[in-house]
Amino acid sequence: MANTPGAIPEQTTRTVVPKAPLLKRLRGQRQLMFMSLPIVAYILVFSYYPIWGWVMAFQNYSPAKSFTQQEWVGLKHFKFLLTDDAFLNVLRNTIAMSVINMVLGFATAIIFAILLNEIKHKFYKRTIQTISYLPHFLSWIIVTGIVASSLSVDGGIVNVVLMKLHIIQEPIMWLSVPEYFWGIVGASHVWKEVGWNAIIYLAAITSIDPSLYEAAEIDGANRYKKMLYVTLPGIKSIVIILLIMNMGWILEAGFEVQYLLGNGVVVDWSQTIDIFVLKYGLQIGNYSLATAAGIFKTVVSITLIFAANSISKRLGEDRLI
Amino acid sequence: MGGLKKKKLWGSVSLVLALSLALAGCSGDNEKVTTKDGKEVLNITAFIGTPNQAPAKDNRIYKKIQDELGVNLEMEFLVGDLQQKLGVMIAGGDFPDLITADTKLVSAGAVIPLEDLIEEHAPNLKKHFGKDWNRMKDSSDGHIYWLPNYGVYTGEFISNYYSGPAFWIQKSILKDAGYPTPKTLDDFTKLIRDYAAKNPTIDGQPTIGFTTLASDWRTFPLLNPPEHLTGHPNDGGVVVDDSGVATVFADKDISKRYYKELNNLYNEGLLDKEAFVQNYDQYLAKISSGRVLSMFDQHWNFQAGEDPLVAQGKIGQTYVGFPLVYDTSITDHYLDRPVINLNNGFGISKDAEDPVALIKFLDKLMDEKYQKLLSWGEEGVDYQVNEEGRFYRTPEQRKEQDDPAWRLINKAEGFYAAAPKLEGTFEDGNAIGAINQPEEFYDNLKPEDKELLDAYGFKTWSDFFSPAPENPVYYPAWQVDLKEGSDAAVANKQMTDTSLKFLPKAIMSKPDEFDNIWTEYVDAYKKIDVKSYEDRINEQLKWRIENWSVK
Repeated sequence: MANTPGAIPEQTTRTVVPKAPLLKRLRGQRQLMFMSLPIVAYILVFSYYPIWGWVMAFQNYSPAKSFTQQEWVGLKHFKFLLTDDAFLNVLRNTIAMSVINMVLGFATAIIFAILLNEIKHKFYKRTIQTISYLPHFLSWIIVTGIVASSLSVDGGIVNVVLMKLHIIQEPIMWLSVPEYFWGIVGASHVWKEVGWNAIIYLAAITSIDPSLYEAAEIDGANRYKKMLYVTLPGIKSIVIILLIMNMGWILEAGFEVQYLLGNGVVVDWSQTIDIFVLKYGLQIGNYSLATAAGIFKTVVSITLIFAANSISKRLGEDRLI
Repeated sequence: MGGLKKKKLWGSVSLVLALSLALAGCSGDNEKVTTKDGKEVLNITAFIGTPNQAPAKDNRIYKKIQDELGVNLEMEFLVGDLQQKLGVMIAGGDFPDLITADTKLVSAGAVIPLEDLIEEHAPNLKKHFGKDWNRMKDSSDGHIYWLPNYGVYTGEFISNYYSGPAFWIQKSILKDAGYPTPKTLDDFTKLIRDYAAKNPTIDGQPTIGFTTLASDWRTFPLLNPPEHLTGHPNDGGVVVDDSGVATVFADKDISKRYYKELNNLYNEGLLDKEAFVQNYDQYLAKISSGRVLSMFDQHWNFQAGEDPLVAQGKIGQTYVGFPLVYDTSITDHYLDRPVINLNNGFGISKDAEDPVALIKFLDKLMDEKYQKLLSWGEEGVDYQVNEEGRFYRTPEQRKEQDDPAWRLINKAEGFYAAAPKLEGTFEDGNAIGAINQPEEFYDNLKPEDKELLDAYGFKTWSDFFSPAPENPVYYPAWQVDLKEGSDAAVANKQMTDTSLKFLPKAIMSKPDEFDNIWTEYVDAYKKIDVKSYEDRINEQLKWRIENWSVK
């Protein structure tokens, strides 16, 4: 650009007068515009175009018919969802398991990162970190297999250990007690993801100015005080940004874990929206109902994101939007 | 404007182009024709709706089909849940040439009618399905969409081997008790109680007296026993009375009696504690460990768990099926006459580029020559022919057939199971399939099996069951298509869900709590629109009686 005579004035107009007329600004940034085109196209095709499919939720959609032949039923499917006992249960489970996963996930990852940061011996630190994030790379089907066999009454390690410690008298059927299900899912999530989630906090911790620690030390802070008053506030902004981003996923409690670990006995506590959609939508060819549930999920997620964002704004913290 | 700027512009334009090309590539069509040895090979993609191991790359039989018929089969087997897979396929609108039968695909307009294709291009198929032609027509529009894979017999009907529903018990228990014939549920549980008391562990692991399965769509091991115990044939979720009226039985007293018995077994520690938590794979693994004394199931469903026991020579831990009833005044109706397996087999999808070539290929396979290849294998390699023209296998050849790994390389089982096939006997009198050849069946019996059959004075496994009476016209009701997304389909789903939730709870409760939980179950059942389900079934049974009766 530098070797073209016109380039320099262009650049100055752009930086000096930021509020130039729109067209002129666009012209000035046309290279950037062109570069962003593929991304815009990608988003249009994969994120906006599919919204068209939402009309299915207001029809009795049949894949065999063309658009004009579909039967329109208004809000029938939404009514079915919101009056169905099973769906209300499903909604409760989804939210509960999400919140459990989120809170547990955040808390354990932050605590783990801070504790890991305190280990001074490099070799141990590396080893622990590697071991802790490896489960992240296993697929859920493997993890649920491990979970199911460790919880088995038939020589599963959890029961064996608890029996040897005389905490319980006889093996507990963990997977057939509805009330335990959320806990099992939460614990599985922690086991699989804690090391991975901690990475970002470890990175944030390294960016804290070491002089703060020195100052704290001079003021007489011990190790725990330093964690509490230097490290934690140092990663606060990261925590909040991640929290807002995760709010959008609150209705994504997951599908695989619950589907693979769940069974008839615990269905009241294990079924999430995605499983409901699969069972009452895809499996019996009721696509409209599946779409209605999907829309419901999207609307709640968007609302939650905006809520979290505005709360964060009021708290005077960084925000996403 | 300098030249460099133009280049930049072109750079971003070509980036866009590259991206759109990449996107277009996703929907690109497969290269249809490849040449090999100068011959054109037709690639046929097929989706098979059962989980199966993909055949070995250089599978002998598939290779022979490719060499002789010029067809290369690209098969995809089911991984995970079938309904989910089909749902996604329909939503995506992308289908393989040959597709596993499912009524959902008809509603989605994903498959093409076959009757004209068969009439014009497939004489073998036409002849094969001739007498079932009307049954194969879809009740809503009169078209034929599926080529059923089982249940059409030619020649003589031979059944040595029983693969249907029964209460299965380990052979060693029978031997131990002096070969009794349990008739009722009580006889049966007594055998198990006695044996389990004598053998608390088997091969070092705790004995499991009775197990069952209720995972995914395989809920029949848990849900179907009551209809059989009352002398009804397998109609799925309903029992049909003499006047042809179907009623749901899951919440009725005939069911309560059975589940109460399971509740007793559970409280005695004889029922598998993990029966309701296990998935299909865990169930099979448990059976192949040899410590499960008994269960209710259909033989084809747990066969894969029995194979390793046979391969290890643990014949005593394989199973014999008994047709149990509640009391001896009831005649058992487990064994039924073969009916065409409607809504099963293959259909041709609307995406198939050359349906004529597909139907011609399937038609050629119906030729006896290829049927022999698919069922028996290659003459001289997989079986021998004696002077009288009877097929038999040498002991080495039989041994090979017991080895699952060998079969992946040397048999075309995945495709054969899903494709339309001849059953019964060939024109030369040999049975189709070694298991049905009487002398081969007997010679293939392990010494333990011969001993057992001799003790009962029987020749085959089917002899344990009452002979099958004539089937009613509408039979079986479980093949009724509920119509996708209909109230009946939703009700059916809710009924299954409710049963899977309450039955385990009731079975695993303390004996004095059983009645309360049963009442809860019945109440929950009342909230479901069971009537729409029964109505749909009855309407279809009536339709069948009208349209299938001898014209």
